[in-house]
Amino acid sequence: MGHLTHDEFFSKLTELFDYRKNQDHGTINLVQKRLSYNTPSQSTETDLLTDLCPSTPLPVLIRATNAKGKDRRKEKVKLSTIIEPADLEAFYGRYADVCKKGMGALKPRDRTKRKKQSRKKKAPTAGGPGVGAGGSSMMAIP
Amino acid sequence: MPYYEKSEDWLHQSALLLQARPQTTRVTTSYFLRPAIRPSKAEKLAAKEARRAKESASKSTTTSKSTTKSTPAPAAPTTESTDATSTATQKPPRGHLVLKTFDPHSGVCLKYKTSKAAEVGRLIQMLGQLGRRMAALPVDEAKEASQAADVVMGEAAEEAKGEVSGTATPAGGTSTPAAGGAAGGGGQGKKKKKGKR
Repeated sequence: MGHLTHDEFFSKLTELFDYRKNQDHGTINLVQKRLSYNTPSQSTETDLLTDLCPSTPLPVLIRATNAKGKDRRKEKVKLSTIIEPADLEAFYGRYADVCKKGMGALKPRDRTKRKKQSRKKKAPTAGGPGVGAGGSSMMAIP
Repeated sequence: MPYYEKSEDWLHQSALLLQARPQTTRVTTSYFLRPAIRPSKAEKLAAKEARRAKESASKSTTTSKSTTKSTPAPAAPTTESTDATSTATQKPPRGHLVLKTFDPHSGVCLKYKTSKAAEVGRLIQMLGQLGRRMAALPVDEAKEASQAADVVMGEAAEEAKGEVSGTATPAGGTSTPAAGGAAGGGGQGKKKKKGKR
């Protein structure tokens, strides 16, 4: 499959994540690497050095799959896109949004502890308003 | 390969690996979904429920001693067991995220694992930083150093930079004071957290 444009890639990636949302198991793999398909790679020392610090910026390849194996080749979804060096920041901004929305099964930020603490703080002020308030303010200063 | 405790450590080591082998290194982000209760456990729960129901049903049948009432009794546990399994499936599946940097030539594999949704944004930002390195774009090291210095690793970064690239030493030198300051800030943050707990 050829490489997709960024818009196509993101729309398909959201589809991939949405499909996962309806299931209770599965994996999504995202890979990024330097695009080195058409570039000649000889193992001479000079080439190694040019590899390490190339004169011009190179594009980055992004792949996304739903990690289906050989026996389920028909269900496998493979997406790939190429980011030109100039578009990197714009791409990663959108990428972050898509991933944040898609990875909904991760643990949300736990706020129960804070709530308990705030309740504890509120409780003494409710019991003795004058003294409690003074105490809390004293606690707040350091 | 072991997992790194902190994402900053992972980022730092991955950046170094990329610096050394930019052509072959790849970064894989895997998002795993698992059912909240594993099937075996759910089955165990269901079995337990069924057993209890059977016991209660047998008691009721012994007290009533009527064959007509005993016939609906076996049906009851099955419905209860299905209820149990449905409650198990109602729990949302758990996910976790594994970041892996792998270089097939040297066989180096660096991993970081998390299950916190709050970290996703930061991790993708890190991927972006690594992407910049992959694309061989100039990397503003002061920015990265300040981010990496949430963990106190300014000294390690200095050493590593010195080892890997002799040409980058001036840049490393300029970035070190910033890193030190940021490290102090990170330390303060940690102290505050400890105080809260």
